[in-house]
Amino acid sequence: MQFAEKTHQRAPGHGQEIIHGGPETMFTRSLISKAMTYCLWVGSLIVLFSLAAPAIGPDIAVELDISNAGPRKIETQTEGRILADYRLAWADIAQALNSNDSGPVEGIFTGAAKDWFDQTVASQRQSGITTRYSNQSHRLQAVFYAPEGDLITLHDTAQYDRQVLVDGRVILEDRGIHRYVVLMTPGADRWVIRELIEVQNF
Amino acid sequence: MSWSITTILKIRSLSGFFGATLTLALAVPVVAQELSVPQSLAAGSNTTISTSGSGAANFYLVGPGSASKASVTLGQDIHLAPDQLRYAGAYAAIVCAATCNHAEFFVTAAKPASLAFLVHPSRVPVRQPDAVSGVVLPFDNFDNLVLTPTAINIQVKGASETLFSRAIPTRNGEAWFRTSSGNTAGPVRLVATAGDLTAQRALQQVASEPCNLRIKAQPTPRGIDVETDPVRDCAGNPVSDGTIVTFTGSGPQGKISIDAPIKGDVARARMNVTGPVVLSAACGVAMGNELRIDRKQ
Repeated sequence: MQFAEKTHQRAPGHGQEIIHGGPETMFTRSLISKAMTYCLWVGSLIVLFSLAAPAIGPDIAVELDISNAGPRKIETQTEGRILADYRLAWADIAQALNSNDSGPVEGIFTGAAKDWFDQTVASQRQSGITTRYSNQSHRLQAVFYAPEGDLITLHDTAQYDRQVLVDGRVILEDRGIHRYVVLMTPGADRWVIRELIEVQNF
Repeated sequence: MSWSITTILKIRSLSGFFGATLTLALAVPVVAQELSVPQSLAAGSNTTISTSGSGAANFYLVGPGSASKASVTLGQDIHLAPDQLRYAGAYAAIVCAATCNHAEFFVTAAKPASLAFLVHPSRVPVRQPDAVSGVVLPFDNFDNLVLTPTAINIQVKGASETLFSRAIPTRNGEAWFRTSSGNTAGPVRLVATAGDLTAQRALQQVASEPCNLRIKAQPTPRGIDVETDPVRDCAGNPVSDGTIVTFTGSGPQGKISIDAPIKGDVARARMNVTGPVVLSAACGVAMGNELRIDRKQ
C-alpha cells in the first residue's frame, strides 16, 4: 500500500500543521486516531496497575521529636539527616532480613549492632528463616545529644507487622508496639547505628 | 492430650449432618504446646524454656544475633546456652508441631564490663569556660549498652588542681559532664570509674592568648634584630612554641612585616632596614609596645 504524497504548510502566524491530500488522508487520520486511542488505553492500564500494585520500596513513616534533646541543641540539618538515615536503615533492615543478605545494611551499622545484625542474617540463612516487616511507623524521641555532637541517643516507639517464615510457612505473625533504644554516631557520610536494643520500657 | 478446638470448629463449619459426622470421624488429636519463658534475663545467661504437651516439634529462637532451629520433644525443657542469648533485646521462642505457638522474652545487658569514655577536646586553652566535656557509656561483656542506671565517678585533674570530681548516674545508658579548663598549662588526667572498672583519658591544657607582649630591638651591621620578652598568657603560662608573632616595621621606605614562630618562649626576627623605623609586634589579640630605632647605613 502506498501513501499519497502530502504537502505540508504552516498556517500563517500559527505553529499548527495543515495536511492536504487525497482520499488516503482520511485513512491516515483514522490510523492516527486509532493509535491515539490505543495509547490512551495503554496509559490508563499503566495508571490502573500502578495504583493497584503495592508501592515499590517500603513506605516507612518516621517522625523525630527533638524537644527533649540535650545538652547540645540539634540543628535542623542534623535532624533531617538523622531522620533520613534512620528511615533508610529500617528499609534496609527489612530488606536484609527478608532476603537474608546483609548487603543492604552495609555501612548502616557499626560496632556491636553490626556484629549482631550480621549474625542474625547468617543464622537466618542457615535455618531457612526469613523475617518480613511491613507497615512500619517509627516515632523517635531524641533524649541525648552529646556536647560535641558525636553521639545521639534516640527512643524509638515503633509499630510494624512482622512475619517470621520458615521455608515459606508463617510461624509467627504479629503487630504491636516495639520500643528501641538507639545509639547513632556520625559516620563519613551518614549517621550510623551503633546500638539498636529492643526494650520492654524506656 | 487435648483436642484442637480450631480443627473441630473448622470441620463443623462444613455444616449439617455430614459436618457433624466428619467432626467425629476426622477430628484428629492435636498436641497442645504451651511455652513458659523467663520474663527477663541478663545477657549470656543459661536459661530453660518449659514446654507442655507431647510429641516431636520444631523449636525456633528468633532474636538479635540468633535465628536458630532445633528439634525438640514437647513436655521436656529446652535449654538455651549463654551464647544464644548474648545480645540484649527481644527474643521470640517459637514451637511448631501441627500449629505454632510463641512466647517473647527480653534479654537485658549484663553487669558493666567496660567503659567507653569520649573526651573533647584533646588540647584546650586554660581558663576557658565549659571547654572540656566527656561522655561515659558502660558496656557489658558482650558489648551491650548497659541501660540500668550505673553510678560513674568522674575526676578531672590538672597538674596542680582538681577541675571536676563528681558521681554521675547514667541515664539512658550514658553519663556526661562539662567543665571549665584550669589555670595551669600541662597535662590533664580524666578518670571515669564504675565499681572496679576504670577508663582514663588525657588532654593537654595549653596557654591561652598571649598577654602583655613586649619587644626589644638592637641595630646590628646586618639589620635590626628584634625579639620578644618571653611570651606568656594572662595566667603566666608560656605560650606554645610555634605560635606566630608578627613584627612590623614602618619607616620612610615603607612597611615591612615578618612572621616569626615562638621558640623557647621567645620570637625573633631580623629586619633589613635603614633609617628611622617604628617597630611593633602582634600575636593573636595582643599588641606589643612600639620601639623607635634609627639605624645608619
